Order: sequence, then structure tokens, then C-alpha cells
Amino acid sequence: MASLSDSGGGGGGGGGRSGAELMVPQFHLKALHAILAVRAPRPIATAPASASAAFRRRDRWFHLPLHAPPPPAAAEHIPEPSLGEPVVVDVYLAPSGGGGREEVVERWTVACEPWPRGAASAGEGLAVNKAYKRCITLLRSVYSMLRFLPAYRVFRDLCASGQAYNYEMGYRVGSFAAPFSRAEEAAMRTQRFAPVETQLGRLVVSVQYLPSLAAYNLEISSLAPVVVIDEYIGSPAAEPMRAFPASLTEATGSAFPLPSRRPNSWASPAYWPQSPGQPAKFSPSPASYASPTPSPPTFAGGYLHSRLSGETAPMSIPQASGSRGPVQYRNMSDPSRGFMLPPPSPKSIRGEAGSHESPTETSRSFRRAEGLRMADLYANLPAAPKMKDSRDESGRFSGVFSSSGSPRLGISRSSSRLSMQDDTDDSYLPFAVDDVDAPDSRPGSSGGKEDQSGSSHKSQDAAVGYLVHLLRSARPLRDPSNSSITSRAESTEAGSTSSFMSRRTSDAFEELESFKEIRENLLARSRSRLQDSLDRS
Amino acid sequence: MNCETCHLNELELEPREIKDVLRCILHTIFFHRTLTLVRPKDVDCERFQITYVQCGLPDLEKEVDEKINQFIAWAEKHPNRRSQVCLSFFDEKNKHPGWFSNKTERIYWEQWFINLHVISPKGHGKQHSSKAQTNITGEASEQASSRHDALGSLIQEVLFQIINYANEKKDHIPPISDRIFNHEISIPR
Repeated sequence: MASLSDSGGGGGGGGGRSGAELMVPQFHLKALHAILAVRAPRPIATAPASASAAFRRRDRWFHLPLHAPPPPAAAEHIPEPSLGEPVVVDVYLAPSGGGGREEVVERWTVACEPWPRGAASAGEGLAVNKAYKRCITLLRSVYSMLRFLPAYRVFRDLCASGQAYNYEMGYRVGSFAAPFSRAEEAAMRTQRFAPVETQLGRLVVSVQYLPSLAAYNLEISSLAPVVVIDEYIGSPAAEPMRAFPASLTEATGSAFPLPSRRPNSWASPAYWPQSPGQPAKFSPSPASYASPTPSPPTFAGGYLHSRLSGETAPMSIPQASGSRGPVQYRNMSDPSRGFMLPPPSPKSIRGEAGSHESPTETSRSFRRAEGLRMADLYANLPAAPKMKDSRDESGRFSGVFSSSGSPRLGISRSSSRLSMQDDTDDSYLPFAVDDVDAPDSRPGSSGGKEDQSGSSHKSQDAAVGYLVHLLRSARPLRDPSNSSITSRAESTEAGSTSSFMSRRTSDAFEELESFKEIRENLLARSRSRLQDSLDRS
Repeated sequence: MNCETCHLNELELEPREIKDVLRCILHTIFFHRTLTLVRPKDVDCERFQITYVQCGLPDLEKEVDEKINQFIAWAEKHPNRRSQVCLSFFDEKNKHPGWFSNKTERIYWEQWFINLHVISPKGHGKQHSSKAQTNITGEASEQASSRHDALGSLIQEVLFQIINYANEKKDHIPPISDRIFNHEISIPR
């Protein structure tokens, strides 16, 4: 026989005997695929199948292509059942995340009951084409029934939203299933389809189902993440001023190259437990033929983890050291803080150093003071023009030094400063520094300032670099270990706010006086030059 | 060849429900009786939370909708009446085969009778007090909801009835052709 259908358009091949042999197992597979297509929840493309899509050869079996939705990929690997063995498909609901009993809500049974011995001839006289036609009708009924039963709505809910529910739907396929208890049997209804007689036996299909699934109270689980946002504010892939991408539901990949040192879950597909075609999330894995058991979404932790790591996104802050970074940044962001903790005047330090401290301790205290002064330096960075103006007036970082009240700190400790000068790396410095004139350009300064006149010839670059180095190596302000430093500078720095305020005020007044002096000098010079030019003329 | 008939359970429905009910029933019958290669299409009837299957044949869908619209127009003119929509499958044969005769006759081999009772929705009564009217409105909505749920269950029973009948009666179906069987949808006049 050329084909199984009357018109010759069927999917079979070969003679009548071969057609009959093919028809029964093909019916088993077709029915199984039809069941699993709408009972194995998985992400299904919402786009309908194209009307012009070509039918595959196996789609033509029983004139019913299964493409909307197609059967899951796992169904392709289920071996062909042998004749006489039924195919039993249990569809169950189980609480998400495990820990609950699986409750069968449907049981489909497809079997070909072979003719009993002695009655085998009864099947031989049956026309294959008629049997095939009846199989078509039977399969249509199975197809329709699958959509009429309440489990179909649950399947649709689990597939459509993409959210995790408090229940999971799974299936088990086998040739045997545990019988229902009396109570379960009583709660279920049975639909038996009219059998189809074939040459090999009687094809019998039946379904036991729960008439209502309202008792399961399907709800969206609160543990499931709703949407994975690839580029949230603060992520390394997002820029601060960049708008959010159009699609926030893309779970893998990113439009922006992520730094290699920041592996995020959204960048690597390996973090995602499911991909199109894999029923990992919605249905359990088959023990023999059972569907896969979903595990809690691992990407949640990874997402959180990556989100946490994303919050430590690097910022373009010139950091002296890791430990000093936050402190430094804090000081940088708050210029007033630098003024709150001004270093002591060189006079006091020298005095203290000479009376109480060893040179090492003095240098330590000096470094700490210079660290604080470095904070002042960075605090003034945003007001670069101001600095430049001050520099233009005095030709040096008068703002920095004068705010500290003792610009000669870096100069007075010439020995220590010179030793550190070579180690200074100012390549990261965000500003350019000109050479600074000698302190004698600031008349009226204290005696301590006069002693540092020799260091005025040192470049401001070196001075700033030295200060940066001090800041790097200095201990944190609130480090308890700093209690070992016993200088009065330490005690005054950790002193009351009133003393800090007084120093801040004194520094400001000093700076004001120095500016006044500079101004007067400049005016005097200009007057003298003008007078000279007039005299000459 | 005998003509198999199937009388489906009667459904009591309102005019606005006619289209959904008839679409669901007619397409389910066609899906069982269109044995050619089809492209099954799931259609959701949200009104009754039912999903049925169409054959995926645009011409058939158009024909069904046209007949349903005609029936709706008839039901508007004849409210609160019991009626039937009949889906018949037939073969055409030459009545008197010959050189000069091209008369054909229809030989029906299956008929499906869809029994409907179209009722008019209950209108609002006299103007009552606001509180009384609220009570009436609340009761009416409850009744409408229960009626709606009952109709949904009845529709599902009708669909199961179609499945059972379509599988039990198969011997009379003609051989499969490359197109759907000849059919007609009859509405009352």
C-alpha cells in the first residue's frame, strides 16, 4: 500500500503491512508529543507559526502537525514504545522549590491492546486506510481534550508570564504508573475515547483528570525575580548619564563591553539555568522518563552577588592607597573637613619635637600632619582657578600652604622631605604645578617661615608629590593604633572642635595677612616702576 | 448511507454571547470532521475561559462568522425564542447522470443540531431609591455571574459531547479527500 490515507497524502510508506506496523507506534508518539506540548511548561515563543511554514514529513502523520506549541525537546528523545506496552503520562503539580508532594492532576494512557491469541485474524481483515482515518479523528479528540481540561490553563499561566509560581507542573512518562488511591480515584473523572481497531490491536486512549484545580490556588511566588535588569544605575556596564535600554528583559549579554575584571551574571550565559527549549525551570527532569525537577533559580544569588559587586564600581578617584582611599575621598569631597583638621604650625611641631619626641616620632607626626595637609590640597582641587589665581599672585601654592598655616612644613623638614622626594610619583596628579618662590615673598610671616626660605627654591611639584606620599603612607585619622603617637600635634588634632576652629581661623587670618602683604608689595613695585618710567621719560 | 445526527444539549444564552458560543461549537465540530491536513490554531474564548481549536483555514473561519452574524440578526428580530443552528455534511452526486443532466443531489451523511435558547437580558425596573436600586443591581450581578458560570460549564459539556459523538460515529465518514467535506450551516428563517 502506497499510503495510509485514502487520498494517498498520508505520512506512511511501504505496503499495507508496513503501514499498519508504522501506524500504531506513530500514533503513540504523536499522542505523546501532543500531550507534552501542552503539559510541559517552558518559555514558548509567542509568535504564531507561519502559515507558509513547510510541514515536515512526520507532521503529516494523522494530518496533524504539532507546531503551536511544539512538543518539548525532551520529548524527541523518548524511545518508541513497544507494542503491547502502554504509554502512561502523569501530569502533576508540586509546590515550587520542592518539599511538597507531587499530586497527579491528569493521567493519560495510550495503549494498543493486541488481539488475543486465536483472534489475531480479526485484525488482518481490517482496512488500514479506515483505521488510519479513525486514528485521525481520535487524535483530533485528544488534541481538543488537552485544551478543554483545567490543566491547560495552568500550563498557559506557567508558560506565558515567565514568573515563578508557588506550584510547578511536571510530567512523568513511562509504561507503568502507580495506581491511584481510592480517594484520588474518587476525585477524578475519566474520559475514555472510543477505541480504534487496527490490524495490530485496539488503540485505546483514556484520561483521568481532576475536574477542578481551584484548590491549588496558583499564585506568583514572591521569591522569583521578576525582571533581570542588565544595566542598572551603578552597574559597570551603565554610564551615569546614559538612558536605560529599551528592553529591560534581556537576561543575557549586554550592549556594552563589561570590564573583564567584573564577571557579572548577566554577562555570562552560564549563570542562567534555563535557555529556550530547556524545561529546567518548569518541569522536573525525568527519572526514567520523568521531566526534570527545577532547582531554585541560581541566578538570583548570582544576580545579587553581581549586584553587590556592581555597587563597588570603580570611580576615577586618584587613590594614594587602598586603605587611605575612603578617607582621602572623604576629605576630597568635603573641603571643610580639611580645614577642620589642620596640621599644627611648624613652630609648635618643632617645639614639641625638640622637647618630647624622637626624630622618628616627629617624622611620623609630621607625615600625619602632612597627610592632613594633603587633604587640604585636594580639598582645594575643585577650585582650581582659585588656586591658580592664588598661584598667580604668589607664584606658589599659597592657598595650600597658607591654609595649613605653615607652608614651610614641607620645607622645614627638609631632610625627610628630600629623602621622600625621589620616591614621589606625581604622574597621577590632576594638576600642573609651577615652581614656588621662596617664602620671603610673604613678608610679615612668623619666624618659622623665615627658616624655611631655602626650601622655596624647591619645585612645587616635588612639594605636592611629597605631600601625596605622606598622605599615602599616613595612618587613618581614626586608627586606634595612632594612639601610639604622643605628640602634642596628635593630641591637638584629636582635640576639641573649638581648638580646630581656632586654628582654622588663625590660619585664615594668617593667609589673609600674607595676601595683604603680597598685594602691598606688588602695588609698591608697580608704583616704583611707574615712577621710574615717568622719570626716564 | 445513513445520515448520522447529533443533537447537542440546549444552551440558554444572551445575544451578546451568541458569537463566542457558536464559534466554539462550530469550529470544534469542523476540527473533528476536517480530516485533511490542517494547521491547528488555539483560540481563547476569554468570556468562558475555554480554549478551542480551529482548523486554521481562513475561508472556513470567514464562512462561520458570516453565518453567525446572520443568526444574530435573526435572534434580534425574534427575541426569547428557542432555535437551532444545523451543521450538515454531505456528498454531492449527480441525480440523473447523463449527457444533458447536471443536476446534483446532496446526500447528507451527518448533521449536528445546535440547540439554543436566546434570552433577552433582564432590563432595569422602575426607579427605586438609591439603596434599593443598589441592592437590585447587586443581586442582578450575582445572578448574572452565576448564570455565566453555569453557561460555561454547559458549554464544556457540549464540547465533551461533540468529542464523544465524533469518536463513536466514524464509519459513515466518506473517504478523505484533499479538501474539507461539503457542508452547510443552516439558520432559522
